Amino acid sequence: MKPVLNMDCVSFTYPGSSVPALSDLSLSMDTCECVCISGSTGCGKTTLLMAVQGLLKDGDRHGSISIHPVLPGLNSGMVFQNAETQILCSTVEDEAAFWPENCGMSADDIRLAVSDALDAVGLAGLQNRNVEALSAGQKHRLTIASVLSMKPGLIFMDEPCGQLDAPGKRQLIEILNHLKQRGHSLLIADHELEPYRSIADRFVLMEKGRIQRISRKLPSEYEMSRVFEGISSDPSSRSFGPPAVEIRNLQVAGPEGDLLIDQLDLTVRRGEFVHIYGINGSGKSTFLRCVCGFVPPESGMIRIAGINRPKPWQLAGKAALLMQNPQRQLFEDTVFDEVSFALKIKGMRADQIRERVMETLEGCALSHLADRSPLTLSFGEQHRVALASVVVSEPEVLLLDEPFAGLDVNRRRQTIRQIETICRDRKTAVIMASHNPLYAGHGADQSLALEHGRFSPAVFNNQDMSLS
Amino acid sequence: MSLSAFQRIGWQFSAVDSRLHRISAGWKMAGMLAMCSAAFIGKSFPNLLALLALNVIGYRLGRVKTVEMWKDMRFFMIQTVIVVALYVLRDGIYDGVLPGLRTSLQILLFFMPGALFLRVTPSSQLMRSLRRWLPERIAFFVFISFRFIPYFAREISDISMAQQLRGARIDKRSLANPRNWPGLFHCLMVPLMIRVMKTAEDAALSTEARGFGKTGPSHSSFPVAKECE
Repeated sequence: MKPVLNMDCVSFTYPGSSVPALSDLSLSMDTCECVCISGSTGCGKTTLLMAVQGLLKDGDRHGSISIHPVLPGLNSGMVFQNAETQILCSTVEDEAAFWPENCGMSADDIRLAVSDALDAVGLAGLQNRNVEALSAGQKHRLTIASVLSMKPGLIFMDEPCGQLDAPGKRQLIEILNHLKQRGHSLLIADHELEPYRSIADRFVLMEKGRIQRISRKLPSEYEMSRVFEGISSDPSSRSFGPPAVEIRNLQVAGPEGDLLIDQLDLTVRRGEFVHIYGINGSGKSTFLRCVCGFVPPESGMIRIAGINRPKPWQLAGKAALLMQNPQRQLFEDTVFDEVSFALKIKGMRADQIRERVMETLEGCALSHLADRSPLTLSFGEQHRVALASVVVSEPEVLLLDEPFAGLDVNRRRQTIRQIETICRDRKTAVIMASHNPLYAGHGADQSLALEHGRFSPAVFNNQDMSLS
Repeated sequence: MSLSAFQRIGWQFSAVDSRLHRISAGWKMAGMLAMCSAAFIGKSFPNLLALLALNVIGYRLGRVKTVEMWKDMRFFMIQTVIVVALYVLRDGIYDGVLPGLRTSLQILLFFMPGALFLRVTPSSQLMRSLRRWLPERIAFFVFISFRFIPYFAREISDISMAQQLRGARIDKRSLANPRNWPGLFHCLMVPLMIRVMKTAEDAALSTEARGFGKTGPSHSSFPVAKECE
């Protein structure tokens, strides 16, 4: 029986680059097989998916790729990493119908295909909903439906779990399992492999554009319980300063007037690292925005860096916010200028700025990139530049919103270590909001779950890292 | 975060069924252009108030909630304050208030039909209509621009927030001083442009991967009636 996908000695080099993004890569897949690819950021996972989907236009290509469909629909379809930017239409039904419309299917066939695709991903009944009103998980499922509507035999998926919380991941895995049973083959690239343990037939690990290892079992370094192994802080050995963040009886309303955060209390001392875990839509981001004065609370007391109910402009240099996408924060010509921006605004002397910036760059392992343009760096490097640019002013409080998004396992570990160092050496109070679990004791001094507007201690289940 | 941010942003399709929803996008577009033009033809207060009433009736016919209408229009309240203030500065209180109010009402009435059009026209209907008037690719470009309005509104809000905490003087208070205006371009517009380019690249890939532009004339679409079923 012919394999569904066969890649033979595929190499690809992007225009203007001397280093191949894919190098002598051979891989084949059978019907109903699920193959998961992983590796460090920039190892070539996305390039591989784009190559098999035929989306790489220019560049130097060698080798052969052949796809032999077993289902009556199209050969293959690709679900991209960012659901927000790949959804093109304003309603669920229009989005799912976009591809069939482009292929000239009849209206009746489109209706059937759309209904079947939405059914398969659990979005039946939401046909007329505005896509902006969908949750993150629903948007991801819609992107799958928009590909399923053409019934491709082979589905490529780029980091489908990246933006999803634990329940979202579980739901996605159920859908993928269902697709396998319907005869689809799945080629998935992701930084996390643990969620796919139950459905993956093979795990492929890549490094520098080459296949490094193929195994039928989940590689041990990708087991979630081991991701933060080796990072264990002993709270008794850590000394904390006075409270940097004090919150009492905080109430924050959601957009419809309902209470998103209700009677919430929190104290974070200088040098303390607090992890806030919550599912998508639980109010983590709203909480961080409220703490730094961008969202006004309904009631309650917020005291941050010695300022009661702060306005954002009062917190410049005292509190810093790092967002999940570093590109939102980078705008200068060089890494040095980027990191020195906050100090220049403060009016520091040039020699002081140089000294402080070089020290920070060294701490973030960026000294060798000081003269590079931040926008030409890899995602992981940009992430470090963004972190350096916010910690350089030595803020009392550092707020991190989903800092693991798009980072591979090693980078996540490095980020946690950097945050630990910042806490310990600079006595910065750190609040990290994430839908990724983090054991208390593995970096964080406190791990709290935000549920129904309140905090409770977060205790994670070792199997699927959901809250116990 | 996405849902709450969305609900702060107006100018989005309201997924309900109404008489206005059922009218074809071409007729709605023609009506919208007529209403927009009327905002500058009818210069007297009675005419403008009648036009305002017509727009409000349109919102009612489109079954758009009052809170959604407020989200569409609230930025024009700020515009009214600025315009009236400038007229008062130029002509004094007695001669400036009424002309200022009239001008700001005209601006509001120029944009209001467009907001209503987006509220009652699903993307598929809009795309079909645009295709009749414009080449396929340009029609798609116009259509996709509407789709990403709320996305970029969120991006602007997030970028602005992060940069303010780094010390960028781009908060409302600082921007009252024109000396801080270059910072708006430097700290806000540069990252925004980068995000726009990245988003355009992602959207283009998503479009291409789903066969857009490959089939040319054989492009099909749902019947118009399906939106109202």
